[in-house]
Amino acid sequence: GLSSARAAEILARDGPNSLTPPKATPEIVKLLKQMVGGFSILLWIGAVFSWISFGIQLAQGAESPFDNLYLGVVLALVVILTGIFAYYQEAKSTNIMASFSKMIPQHALVIRDAEKKEMPADQLVVGDIVEIKGGDRIPADIRLIFTQGCKVDNSSLTGESEPQSRSCDFTHENPLETRNIAFYSTTCVEGTATGIVINTGDRTVIGRIASLASGVGNEKTPIAIEIEHFVYLVAGVAISIGVLFFIISVSMRYKILDSLIFLIGIIVANVPEGLLATVTVSLSLTAKRMAKKNCLVKNLEAVETLGSTSIICSDKTGTLTQNRMTVAHLWFDNQIYSADTSEDQTTQPFDQSSPSWTALSKIVTLCNRAEFRPGQENLPIMKRVVVGDASETALLKFAEVILGDVMSIRARNKKVAEIPFNSTNKFQLSIHETDDPNDKRFLLVMKGAPERILERCSTIMINGKEEPLDSEKAEAFQTAYMELGGMGERVLGFCHLYLPENEFPDTYPFDTDSMNFPTSNLCFVGLLSMIDPPRSTVPDAVSKCRSAGIKVIMVTGDHPITAKAIAKSVGIISATSETVEDIAKRLNIPVEQVNRREATAAVVNGMELKDMSLQQLDEILCNHSEIVFARTSPQQKLIIVEGCQRQGAVVAVTGDGVNDSPALKKADIGIAMGIAGSDAAKNAADMVLLDDNFASIVTGVEEGRLIFDNLKKTIAYTLTKNIAELCPFLIYIIASIPMPIGTITILFIDLGTDIIPSVALAYEKAESDIMNRRPRNKRKDRLVNEQLAVYSYLQIGIMQSVGAFVTYFTVYAEQGFLPSTLLGVRVNWENNAINDFEDSYGQEWTKYQRTYLQWTGYTAFFVSITIQQVADLIIRKTRRNSIFQQGLFRNKVIWVGIFSQIGIALILTYGLGHVTALNFTPLRFQYWFVAVPFAILIWVYDEVRKLFIRRYPGSWWDKNMYY
Amino acid sequence: SLAVKILLFYVIFYGCLAGIFIGTIQVMLLTVSEFEPKYQDRVAPPGLTQIPQVQKTEISFTASDPKSFEPYVKNLEKFLKDYNADQQTESIVFQDCGDVPTDYTERGPYNDVQGQKKVCRFKREWLENCSGINDPTFGYRDGKPCILVKLNRIIGFKPKAPVNDSLPPEVMAKYNPYLIPVHCAAKREDDVDKIGTVEYYGMGGYPGFALQYYPYYGKLLQPRYLQPLVAVQFTNLTYDVEVRVECRAYGQNIQYSDKDRFQGRFDIKFDIKSS
Repeated sequence: GLSSARAAEILARDGPNSLTPPKATPEIVKLLKQMVGGFSILLWIGAVFSWISFGIQLAQGAESPFDNLYLGVVLALVVILTGIFAYYQEAKSTNIMASFSKMIPQHALVIRDAEKKEMPADQLVVGDIVEIKGGDRIPADIRLIFTQGCKVDNSSLTGESEPQSRSCDFTHENPLETRNIAFYSTTCVEGTATGIVINTGDRTVIGRIASLASGVGNEKTPIAIEIEHFVYLVAGVAISIGVLFFIISVSMRYKILDSLIFLIGIIVANVPEGLLATVTVSLSLTAKRMAKKNCLVKNLEAVETLGSTSIICSDKTGTLTQNRMTVAHLWFDNQIYSADTSEDQTTQPFDQSSPSWTALSKIVTLCNRAEFRPGQENLPIMKRVVVGDASETALLKFAEVILGDVMSIRARNKKVAEIPFNSTNKFQLSIHETDDPNDKRFLLVMKGAPERILERCSTIMINGKEEPLDSEKAEAFQTAYMELGGMGERVLGFCHLYLPENEFPDTYPFDTDSMNFPTSNLCFVGLLSMIDPPRSTVPDAVSKCRSAGIKVIMVTGDHPITAKAIAKSVGIISATSETVEDIAKRLNIPVEQVNRREATAAVVNGMELKDMSLQQLDEILCNHSEIVFARTSPQQKLIIVEGCQRQGAVVAVTGDGVNDSPALKKADIGIAMGIAGSDAAKNAADMVLLDDNFASIVTGVEEGRLIFDNLKKTIAYTLTKNIAELCPFLIYIIASIPMPIGTITILFIDLGTDIIPSVALAYEKAESDIMNRRPRNKRKDRLVNEQLAVYSYLQIGIMQSVGAFVTYFTVYAEQGFLPSTLLGVRVNWENNAINDFEDSYGQEWTKYQRTYLQWTGYTAFFVSITIQQVADLIIRKTRRNSIFQQGLFRNKVIWVGIFSQIGIALILTYGLGHVTALNFTPLRFQYWFVAVPFAILIWVYDEVRKLFIRRYPGSWWDKNMYY
Repeated sequence: SLAVKILLFYVIFYGCLAGIFIGTIQVMLLTVSEFEPKYQDRVAPPGLTQIPQVQKTEISFTASDPKSFEPYVKNLEKFLKDYNADQQTESIVFQDCGDVPTDYTERGPYNDVQGQKKVCRFKREWLENCSGINDPTFGYRDGKPCILVKLNRIIGFKPKAPVNDSLPPEVMAKYNPYLIPVHCAAKREDDVDKIGTVEYYGMGGYPGFALQYYPYYGKLLQPRYLQPLVAVQFTNLTYDVEVRVECRAYGQNIQYSDKDRFQGRFDIKFDIKSS
């Protein structure tokens, strides 16, 4: 091997043997992006205006210019803090991912300085000699110089699911095809090999593909589009009302400076400062919930994308299926028996009383080279690791479940000779002593391709008795074989022969090369068929998808028959639907004559797909509701995804291989497999499925839909009080009353009392079965639609304003200013020189006394909004159902929200009521209750709204009042 | 027709809301007396204010230029109109309360069962040089400006005369058990010698507010209430320099606050230019 010094030199030249992670945006850019996106711009404008008016006032020598300076600083702080918060949230979810990919450190066995050394795989350099054995991951691209029964699983690279054997021979010009190269990040399934490293890091084949994948652009997530739409909407309202009232106030002869200050107030009142943070928190709460259900979300927004998914393109192996061969059917005594294929089988229920089964089970046990790795006695059988190929593993586990300790049975039936399976013989044979001490005969057992086995048999065992194999029995065999094969299962035949004691004494020298023993005229015992069975949760999940209007498309590299069988067994192709070929067969007409529209299902072969035009593909995707793509390459997956997206669908794609990464990136949501997935796939994906289980996707969809509904509620809740914050400014400008609410106070609502309640809505349970409706149409079903805005702004918002104004007028009236006195007083009220301002009773007020009363008004207004927001929170729990149907106490977090809201308001009013800068004053306690009737009114009104919506579906009320 | 329906909906919706709003306000007003406010949390303790009312608390003029002090004079004249003798003739409304400070004048409950309440007369002549009767410019043309000091009206408020020994020495002389004395002094140490002599004119020559004028019964019961005044004349202010003066009213229930610079006191700047 290389010397350490030379290796160090090359390492310095080539860099470590690891993939460069996709170029990350610099952290500071991410942070700054958070601070200028969304509403931040509006708030910056507000802040700049505040500073401008501070500057002007300072220059004019006004009395208290610093108010505006502070306001500007507060606004800037709000932007910066919410920016940092959003950045932090984003970073936190990215970190989960980063830690995830670093979980398994890779090691490699290298020859350096003529010594075998274990060292981290990223230290490998070109020219190193490495040794690999079954179960290892190939640490770099290597050319093999020595192999022994070496097979590699290239599925992550090429999509071929069958392990491929490797040798030292150069067999093909194309490096991907030749047998003497093993690729980085693929796994060695069995055997051992030694090889020379020829490429490391990004120069490996995988590395090149990975860098290619990062070139596929990232689409905007649906929720990002929705939030952008919402921001435009609110910003539009804010700016147009702001400008409108700027013009109004200028034309009402307010000073430009004052008008500018009004403009700031209007912007601050209109912008839901806390909302984007709330949305982020809600999404990350859902992400956490999904992580618990094995969906790890990399990008927060993907949480909702999953909910709007309308097509899932799923892999078969490992996702829909358990990714292990399992015995599914048996045929003996002329009868087919079904075996249990579930994940955690401990017994097999089929009838095991027949002596034929005893004979069959013996062959299954003995004619098998697979073995359990030692030291797993405490594990359930299905979870134990086996050394051996997939079919033998299946048979071993099957036997272990039924018969118990297989290894000791084999020990009792000592093996005296064996011919392993090879592709020319297509059978496997072994000869054993029997465990019956009185029976000195040898037992020859054989398994293999059924037709080959049958050829070698002259008798067949029926109910334990050997009967001649006549044409009728051979016919029965054929039927059974066809039936099992037609189910997409891999069928094996089993036969045996007791060698006569006189011809084969116990000293007989069996020689497998000359085959000095009979290999024909055997006794046929039975058939076993195996399949990689569907995961038991999948059929349910698929039917859930179906009722949720989500089309599930299977994309697999497997044979069409197997693919179709699995699709049928999990419900991707439903029991009643037929493919074009099925119809042709049933009607006995050629395939071309079948009306393609009649077929709801379609099984498309990868070879056909290759020759298809885009229109033809679109036609298939459009016309068939149940589609299976078989024998497809990962590259074709991308074509399928693009086809689905052309239909306007939101597409989720699962993938594990490196070659899947372009499709994962292209998809609206790429889902990588956590167990089987390659790092490249995980990097390209938006979500990682920790248990590789399709059913987890469906729970993810459910969460995603729920969060969309709940975000709607959160936004409706948040938008409502904006009107109650805005109206004071408008009325202040128009009616010249003392200012009802301060800008700082508004910020305390938006970023104080309202935050926890709006997050609490994220915990709301679904109103009805959300998996029973169709996925949302991303063009029509907006997050914030007209109805939501109108109902929140023009109805509940106005009601809140009325309630708050009643409190405001009550406070002023009870302190001496009756409503009639208040109209038009603004100029004198705010005049610092007037310290004997007369109220409705003839009393005289100093400026500070008035200001203090004004703050009391702010506090009263604030408290009223808070109280009414409690009602708003409760009504937002449902959009259609009555609160009583939903249950007031099911979502406990709502109550946390309500108590926090009132608690924060109490603290602000009584705790911080003496801090002048905050403009809160300790309020007389009764003023907390003035708005209560209005809160109740809001609740009752909304109940009536929902009642009418439920009673008169489709009416103009339903159309205009349901958001 | 959908638009009409929606329009109709909003007309009804806002109509109802307006009705509810007006209704609740009316109900609320029913709980409020028309004679006295329900609470006086914010209006008491009273502010002390001066006439003329000036922006940025600054009185700045040139004695030789009548135009420069015209606004102040007009302001004073306008304010004192109600204090003219011919305005106080009706004996149904006005009552003589003597010219020596005495105790509060209680006029029964705060309602109109007994009709309107009577009001103590306040003779403009009491203000002497600052009455504007002899000198229509209130001393401004001589560079000896007058200001009027008044305690803000608060319904039912009975100012309590200060305890004798709590008064600062310079005010001690003004002590009277039925008087809220007013005193003006330099705000800053270095203005003390610039302020010159200060003359006080009040009821019967007392430099303060006599208690018989209190309590105030409100606009409805005492529409023509005359609050007691103290005129303060600065006869020897230093010219061409800003002099800051602070005036205070003294009483047990008259307080001062750092936040409210007009509570129980006020300060005012004089800047008299020689030419």
